[in-house]
Amino acid sequence: MADQANVSPILSQQLLLNVAEQLKLPLLQIARQAEYGRLTNQPDLKTIQATADTALQLLDNYLLGVRLNVSDQQLSIEQVSIASVLYDAAQQLDGFAKSYGVALELNIAGKFGPVMANRQGLQSALVSLGAAMIEALPAQESPDLKIQLATHRCRYGIVAGLYSDVEQLTSKALNQGRRLQAVSRQPLINVSHTSAAGVFVADAILHAMQLKLKTSRHHRLYGLGAVLKPNYQMQLV
Amino acid sequence: MAHIILIEPDRLLAQIYCQSLTAARHSVIPCASAQAAILAADQQTPDVVVLELQLIEHSGIEFLYEFRSYTEWQNIPVILHTQVPAGEFASNWQLLRDELGASAYLYKPLTSLRGLTKAINTNLSLVA
Repeated sequence: MADQANVSPILSQQLLLNVAEQLKLPLLQIARQAEYGRLTNQPDLKTIQATADTALQLLDNYLLGVRLNVSDQQLSIEQVSIASVLYDAAQQLDGFAKSYGVALELNIAGKFGPVMANRQGLQSALVSLGAAMIEALPAQESPDLKIQLATHRCRYGIVAGLYSDVEQLTSKALNQGRRLQAVSRQPLINVSHTSAAGVFVADAILHAMQLKLKTSRHHRLYGLGAVLKPNYQMQLV
Repeated sequence: MAHIILIEPDRLLAQIYCQSLTAARHSVIPCASAQAAILAADQQTPDVVVLELQLIEHSGIEFLYEFRSYTEWQNIPVILHTQVPAGEFASNWQLLRDELGASAYLYKPLTSLRGLTKAINTNLSLVA
C-alpha cells in the first residue's frame, strides 16, 4: 500500500499542474475539430469522442493516483492475470491509437502465472502510459508507428509495459523527467512534446501499489513497464 | 495561394490545421520536428512558417536560430503558434522578434482556425 511516510502534498500538486497542462491538448483538439466540423458541416464525431474519452481516462487515473497517495484509501492486492490486463488496456487505448495512426500490438507470448497487483490500478497505469506514448510517437517522426503491449520476465520479476522504437526512452530520461515534472512544460523533452502527464500518473498509481515504473527493453524495442511480483504459491499448484 | 510549413508535433492538431489551411487555398507541409522542417524548407522554400515552440529534442527557438542562419530564409515570416503562454517568454520576445524574426505570436489554445488563417494572410500581405 502507499507508503504514508512518502506521501507528499507537493507531489500531488506537481502532478495536478502536469495533468492540467496535459488536458489543454485534448480540449484544444476538440475545440478545433468542432470548429472545423461547424465550418464544413462535417464534424468528425468519432475522433472527437476518442479524444474526449482519453482525456476523461487521464482525469480518472490522475484522481486514482492522487487518492491512493494522499489518503488512506487502499487497493487490494490480488492475483492478476497480466495477459488479461494487457488485453483490456489495449481495448481501452484502441480508439485513441487509431486516431493518431498508431498500430497497437499485443505480445503476450509465453506462459506467465498470476502476479500480485491490483487489477484496476495496473490497468489504469498501463492505459495512462499508453496514451502518453501514443500521442508522442508521431511527434518523434518515427518511421514505425507501432506500440507493443508486452510482458516478459526479468531478474526482478515480470515486466508488463508498452514498447516502441523510441530509443530516447532511457532510465536517465525518466529520472530526469520525475525531477523536472513541476518546473518544466516538457519534463521528458526527448520523448514527448507535452507534459507527458500519463507517465507520471502511472508512476503515482504504481507507487501506491508499491510497484515500480521502469524503463525496459523488449526484444529490440524500448519502453516503460511495471515490474510485478509473480505469485509463487500459485505457481506451485 | 501560399506555401506553408506547419511545424506542429501533435498529429491530430496538424491534421485539422492542414485541412483548414488547405480549404483556405494554401498548400501546407506538416512537420512534426525542427529537423523535418529544415529539410522541407530545403526542398521547397516556404512563403510562411507556422511554428510551435514545444517540440521534441530541438525546440522551436533552436529551429529559429537554424532557420535564420540561412540567408535565403531570413525574410520569410515565421508565426509563433504555440501552447506556451506569452508571459513565459515575455522577456525574450525582443530577441524572438528583432533577432530571430518572429513576425507574430498566437497563443494556440485561444486561436481559432479562422484566426490562424487571418494571421497567415496578414503576414503574407506584409511581405508582398
